[in-house]
Amino acid sequence: MGSVQLRGVSKWFPRREGEPLHVLQNVDLDAPERSIVAIVGASGSGKSTILNIVAGLVRPDAGEVYLNGVPAEAFKDWRSMTYMFQDDRLLPWRTAAQNVSFGLEAGGVGRAERRERVAETLELVGLTGFADAYPHELSGGMRSRVALARSLVTRPSILLMDEPFSKLDPSIRAQMHEEVLRIKELMGMTLLFVTHDVEEAVVLAHKVVVLNPRPGRVRETRTIDLPYPRDPLSPEVAEQARLLRGSL
Amino acid sequence: MAMDPTDPAAATGRPTLPRSGGPGGWRIAALRLLLLAALLLAWQVASWNMPAFVLPGPLRVWEAWSNLVASPGFWKDLGVTFERVVIGFLLAAVVGVVLGLALGASETLGAMFEPVLTVINTVSSTIWAIFALIWFGLSNWTTIFVVFMTAMPLILTTVWQGTKTVNADYVELARTFRMPRRQVLLKIYLPTILPPFFSSARLAFGFGARVSLVAETLGASSGVGYRLRQAADLVQTDQVFAWTLTLVTLMLALEALILKPLENRLFRWRRRAGES
Repeated sequence: MGSVQLRGVSKWFPRREGEPLHVLQNVDLDAPERSIVAIVGASGSGKSTILNIVAGLVRPDAGEVYLNGVPAEAFKDWRSMTYMFQDDRLLPWRTAAQNVSFGLEAGGVGRAERRERVAETLELVGLTGFADAYPHELSGGMRSRVALARSLVTRPSILLMDEPFSKLDPSIRAQMHEEVLRIKELMGMTLLFVTHDVEEAVVLAHKVVVLNPRPGRVRETRTIDLPYPRDPLSPEVAEQARLLRGSL
Repeated sequence: MAMDPTDPAAATGRPTLPRSGGPGGWRIAALRLLLLAALLLAWQVASWNMPAFVLPGPLRVWEAWSNLVASPGFWKDLGVTFERVVIGFLLAAVVGVVLGLALGASETLGAMFEPVLTVINTVSSTIWAIFALIWFGLSNWTTIFVVFMTAMPLILTTVWQGTKTVNADYVELARTFRMPRRQVLLKIYLPTILPPFFSSARLAFGFGARVSLVAETLGASSGVGYRLRQAADLVQTDQVFAWTLTLVTLMLALEALILKPLENRLFRWRRRAGES
């Protein structure tokens, strides 16, 4: 459970004037079960569009998407996939616990079980004691943890993340990386994320897909063969980041 | 009563709003008290030089008010008026919210009905009262209709505008969770609309309560408006003052005891201005 494959995916966005914009060209991508795959690329390389296509929010104009080996059109288990956005998108009128609960409410999970799983997930991300805080009372890092908890509470087998930590301070971002790796180890989901930060990609991912811009196409797929945990300041990470930057 | 002894700034001296707060909270309270005393005095002095049917003095009004509250018909008239206002207001709230959501959901409907709303808004409440009198005669529905026609467009407009402020990012978030459309309306749209709805409902209730009196003076045989007209016809000016005092007190009590606490409870999640 939890694999993502793209085969020859292309996408054009219609424009008010002129030719449609070619966003993705013939993209192949493999995120096997329990893997962590990063997509890096300059802006305009269609990184986020790939995630939106995988999430079923945008339809590809050509190519196929397979989720758990099933073509996306026939895929039923959409609730086993969650999406973490670049901004935390916490609903300001809900407390931390209620925001986390939002992830379960669509799935028709009963109230008692919801409460139990929300508490469990808040504990998992280290937010016990902040359940009743409103978003405006939380720091950026804590809000990010709430957003992460909301994405985890449904126990997804696929977690998509669109530059989820790019707005955090570097030290807090490093903490969130550790959290994500720890939780991923615990829950065993597949992680597919987009970033423009090559260090982030090297620290987290088994595999990095490098996109070229306009139209977005895969330039290179690089396996990062370093043991976890990876020290962002180690020479090995720096070397991998340098190589990646070179192909960007 | 023009004073507000429960004013938190006055009570604690804690700086809150510049209007009534700061270290001058007690000073403002004293000044307001002084203003009240001055007004009462001016009223008293003015009444000495005028016949009571033009301007009754404060004591005489107080006496009239005491008698009025003690009279058996008082609560009945108050109750009748309150009932009409509440029914008209509730109908306006239901219709306003449903139509507002409908117009917000469909751009075509919205564009189509926009002029209708403008027309309704330009018609004076008095004109609605006259129409109501023609259509419903001397019945409860005259007043209810006028309250409805005054409050409904206000609520409708706010809800409609509110649907346009719904954050598309939140709707997208709901989509990633495959949330059904009904739940999206309930969990994203409704909370977004609630704050503007609440303030417009408050405004609409106030308008409704005021125009209900106009309607009742024209087309009712009971209620506060009817009593007001009766008192005016019989040149019982102290009675007019007494009813006015009653209404002002009631509206203030409603605001302080029900609406304010309710608003604070509903919108706890909002960051107060000035808080970091």
